[in-house]
Amino acid sequence: MSTVDYAVTELSAEEQILARPVRSLWTDAMARLKRNHLAIVGLIMILFFLVISFAAPLIAPHPPLKVYRGMSQLPPVFAKVSESGVKADPRFFFGTDSIGRDVLSRVIYGGRASMLVGIIPVTVILIIGTTIGLISGYAGGWVDNLLMRLTDVVYAFPDLLFYILLMITLRETYFGRMLGGMLLLFLALAVVSWVGVARLVRSEVLAIKEKGFIEAARSVGASNSRIILRHILPNTLSPLIVWAAFSIPRMIIVEAVLGYIGIGLRLETNDNAFFISSWGGLMSTGQASITSQPWVLLTPSICVALVVLSFTFIGDGLRDAFDPRMR
Amino acid sequence: MTLRFIARRALWTIPVLILIAVVTFVLMHLAPGGPWDKDPGKRNVDAITLKNLERLYGLDKPAWRQFTAYMIGDFDHEGEWKFGAIGGNLGPSYRQRGMTVQDILFKAPAGKPFTESRFGYSVRLGVLALFLAMIVGIPSGVIAALKQNTWIDYLVTLITNIGVSVPNFVMGIFLVILFAVQLKLVPVAPRTWTDPRVWVIPSFVLAFGTMAYTARLMRSSMLEVMRQDYVRTARAKGLSETRVVTIHMLKNALIPVVTILGPALAGLLVGSFVIESMFAFPGIGREFVQSISNRDYSMIMGTTLIYAVLIVAANLSVDVVYGLLDPRIKIK
Amino acid sequence: MRSFKHWSGIIALVLVLSMLLTACTPQAAPTAAAEGEPTAKPEPTAEPTKEAEPEAEPTAAEPVEKVLRINEGSYPDIIDPQRSSYVGEIGHLQLIYEGLTTFDTDLETVPGAAESWEYNDDATELTFTLREGLQYSDGSPLNAMRFKFSIMRNIDPNTAGEYSYITDYILGAAEWRSSDPTDAAAYDAAKAVVDGNVQAYKMDGTTVCDSYDDTDCRILTVKLGQPTPYMHTVLGIWVAYPAKEENITEGGENWWNSSVWQIGNGPFILKTLEPFVRARFVPNPNYHGEKAKVDIEYSYIIDSAISFQAYLNDEFDIVGLASEDLQTVESDPELSEQMLIYPQACTFALQFNLTKEPFNDPSVRKAFSMALDRDAYAQDVLAGLGTGTLTWIPEGIPGANEAEDRWAFDPEAAKAELANSVYGSVEGLPLITATFGDSPRNRVRWEWMADNFKKNLGVEIELNPIDPTTFTSLTKDTSTMPQMILLGWCSDYPDPQNWLSVYWSSSSEFAKSVAYANPELDALLAQADVELDPDARLKMYEDAQDMLIEELPAVMFYNRVNSFLVKPWVTGIETTPQDGVFPGQYAANLIDIDTSLLP
Repeated sequence: MSTVDYAVTELSAEEQILARPVRSLWTDAMARLKRNHLAIVGLIMILFFLVISFAAPLIAPHPPLKVYRGMSQLPPVFAKVSESGVKADPRFFFGTDSIGRDVLSRVIYGGRASMLVGIIPVTVILIIGTTIGLISGYAGGWVDNLLMRLTDVVYAFPDLLFYILLMITLRETYFGRMLGGMLLLFLALAVVSWVGVARLVRSEVLAIKEKGFIEAARSVGASNSRIILRHILPNTLSPLIVWAAFSIPRMIIVEAVLGYIGIGLRLETNDNAFFISSWGGLMSTGQASITSQPWVLLTPSICVALVVLSFTFIGDGLRDAFDPRMR
Repeated sequence: MTLRFIARRALWTIPVLILIAVVTFVLMHLAPGGPWDKDPGKRNVDAITLKNLERLYGLDKPAWRQFTAYMIGDFDHEGEWKFGAIGGNLGPSYRQRGMTVQDILFKAPAGKPFTESRFGYSVRLGVLALFLAMIVGIPSGVIAALKQNTWIDYLVTLITNIGVSVPNFVMGIFLVILFAVQLKLVPVAPRTWTDPRVWVIPSFVLAFGTMAYTARLMRSSMLEVMRQDYVRTARAKGLSETRVVTIHMLKNALIPVVTILGPALAGLLVGSFVIESMFAFPGIGREFVQSISNRDYSMIMGTTLIYAVLIVAANLSVDVVYGLLDPRIKIK
Repeated sequence: MRSFKHWSGIIALVLVLSMLLTACTPQAAPTAAAEGEPTAKPEPTAEPTKEAEPEAEPTAAEPVEKVLRINEGSYPDIIDPQRSSYVGEIGHLQLIYEGLTTFDTDLETVPGAAESWEYNDDATELTFTLREGLQYSDGSPLNAMRFKFSIMRNIDPNTAGEYSYITDYILGAAEWRSSDPTDAAAYDAAKAVVDGNVQAYKMDGTTVCDSYDDTDCRILTVKLGQPTPYMHTVLGIWVAYPAKEENITEGGENWWNSSVWQIGNGPFILKTLEPFVRARFVPNPNYHGEKAKVDIEYSYIIDSAISFQAYLNDEFDIVGLASEDLQTVESDPELSEQMLIYPQACTFALQFNLTKEPFNDPSVRKAFSMALDRDAYAQDVLAGLGTGTLTWIPEGIPGANEAEDRWAFDPEAAKAELANSVYGSVEGLPLITATFGDSPRNRVRWEWMADNFKKNLGVEIELNPIDPTTFTSLTKDTSTMPQMILLGWCSDYPDPQNWLSVYWSSSSEFAKSVAYANPELDALLAQADVELDPDARLKMYEDAQDMLIEELPAVMFYNRVNSFLVKPWVTGIETTPQDGVFPGQYAANLIDIDTSLLP
């Protein structure tokens, strides 16, 4: 643990500044991130999930769509016997679902859609939202007014309602069918969510703008872009990281809920297809059978929880790494 | 100044609402299918009935006129003038025939107070859930931050992670199995909502996500504040730790939490869909979700507008509170 | 870790930890769970009115109140006899009202409010004679004019009920229904015609009645556009239930949503109705038949997992049994005794757009039928809650042919049949896309079927899940009808006419949507529909079905079953294949509760 006690860290940080040449914000942050063990664990876990889900055909023990007749509702190997007296089969480590497909393989394949649904829209939202929030907050005046009024409109839309409306309307179009509906889902998620980020960033900027160190930078003739990138952006990172660490699972769950309502991703029946299942989809199927086959629900749920935990660790690590006062 | 600010923001709501109404109207009419395409297993409504229904609901009129009829008003099929949304009439529901949208959402059963209406139920549950989320989330976040990297901190992290990664429909059944089936503290299926105990599980299920988010936000915001110069200064001045934490830290650390309060409440008010189907809770959440798949046009418009008003009001009050909490932010 | 109890133990542990965290804070919730007593008994509520909670009635002196607690599922959109169409809606109406005729537990049409009925010689006029001294539950008289009002209201274009077409057999009904009410003259003229054709008379058979209070007004005659020997059955369904005109007027457009206006003549009275929470029905002392023995309480919990847990906790007496819970129930010696599984009058079939390749070729349809492993489906997907079928009319409905064995599962024959088609082989087939309304359950179904056809026929099927409402709208018209869908049909009334003429005759909405038209079948059905001799009529329908299966416009797939869990203390349940809400709903007045078995 690099940060055992708050006061101690503070001291050592000051010593470091005296002891070595000033490095750029990013290299410095990366260096500090490397020393944060939990964040590294999180990173490794995310990488692990990415690798196994993208290399699914090599790793999954069974084809994810294959129905094994008479093998339905098998419990996981470590449970040995299910409540209803069905014996586990060592070939199916996490058991089988209600029609006899291997749960483990389906979860491995499901990681693809879920990891992407979590990561891509959040990245896009962060970029759009942060840019608009920074401009709005820093520039002020009519720019701020215009952008904030625009966010008012988007913000006032009920988000779930908007996802559903957009998905239903565009689902059968060419765009809606691309990548098994992934692009449309990304679009729907991004259109609604950038506003939250923009407002968050703007309010941070407003608070920071008045602080002494910005005035100081301005007085020594620093350019606007330099002030924004070097001084304001790092200060807005901490709430953004928390937001991102929370939004990724939210996106994964929104996908699950949409699947539950009947407008989730399109599934494919070809074993070579890329998006075959998603964790959200597996969870909504599993919920109905919680009493007799809890493993169908719990396996994808645990994966989602692990991914979320990893992102939280990474998020915490990043926040500490970018905190200018910890340098 | 504040009054003028509020008045200006309130006026701005009008173009926002119109814009939202237009977008919703266009999108929902672009969506394939109509209000009478119900269950595929059922026989389709026959052509004559379909025509009668469309006439009764004015769907035989051109689209622009349907829109103005909804927003402003029009003559109904009997030739009488009926006000639209501007007169507080959100239109007849296509699905629950014989009821208007405002009746469905806001009207209590005969002889009951407003709190017994669907909206009233949702408000009660939403406020309870928000209260729970705050009263658990804020202290846990604060404690986790103060005890950073101790087991308490890890526990809070673990639980908040569960909170965001488990969907409502899963959390609900877990809590039911624990409290109702195993511990037998409450009935599984509430028979009446007059018994306060049956509110526990639904409000917890609803609150959990917000609670977790609040705790995380509070923790990170506290950690941020703890590193500020003025906190160090306060400590250096020899102020008591309690005083430092409550006066200097909490007040500043609460700002981001206040920002999410309004939208969170609005979200909790309409986000009870899963709870409603699990516990037979008579709230308004299902109308938000089902109106679209039912193609219940006036219900879609009505719920969208109501939500928009809620959000605008919530944001406005957040801005006002924000200004009070943080004097550095001047309300223009 | 062996079983779910252990799994849930872990989950519980995590949750308890979270609760501990809660407990650290000064006040967890205004309604802290920990204060509750560790019993299942609900605390007596502060309400002055005694809520009927059987387990909360500790007194031994009074007889225990008998309440049958049923989870009905989702709250109905409408409970108006002339505007309802859903099973759940009808499940409410059936308790409150009774039609002119009704169905016994063998689904035979038997006297209801009418003690008898007769047709004229060519079955173009139907005369009902009502029972003497009929009363509504509030004691007011019920006469033939009430039924006339209901039938007229069902036809009225201003009502626009979804089952209004079903009374089109009445002379002039279709014309009135299609008239434009804004054109007052045309509307009134069309109405006057129907008004003359549905007439209420005094017992002398000639004097037209003029008052709802006239107890002598017991004759109702209905003139029909063509011979319709099954019209007495049609008028027994919910569309002709005698809701009171003055209540509908006074209650306004949503009169149906309040127990005040729902005054009926059925075995039960709707005592309280709390929308989306529960409804309470009590026996109607004025019912002409055997009086009901228990109160009925409907709850509206949609989530089947919760409903199942509530049943296990003795909070419901009857709940639906989902296939997901079947294994748990079957392996439990006590629960398996409480299972009630019996046929349901619903047939599911793979249906095709007969204008699109490749299913316009009968050989391809037959090959698909023979490649469909129905038994495996019944076992894997339906978990035993359903059986494969090779025919259209389900068991329990007259005209069912249980001996049908054409196009049964035989992968080799299927491949041979495919070779007979114009495509010659699997490689020659165009792309096949199956379209369905997206839901977790439908996904599992279709993923299974895609696997089945790949395995047994070597055909790759592309799945196309779409929004359920979009799906329904696509199935309306041939131009948008997808290539391949799964669709079911359930009885409106137990008569082969409802299965064959209503569905497969080329003039029906459905046959039009898949572009099915067989003039020979049409002629046979038209003949059967007007045949007066029951045996000859049944024979014609059987021949028609035979013809249908030979041509196989759809791959007959499976019949669903009704599956419920019923507590051992519930007695007197008489099931029918048309039950939808709870077992025994067609004879709910016979159901009783054996209080000696109550826990």
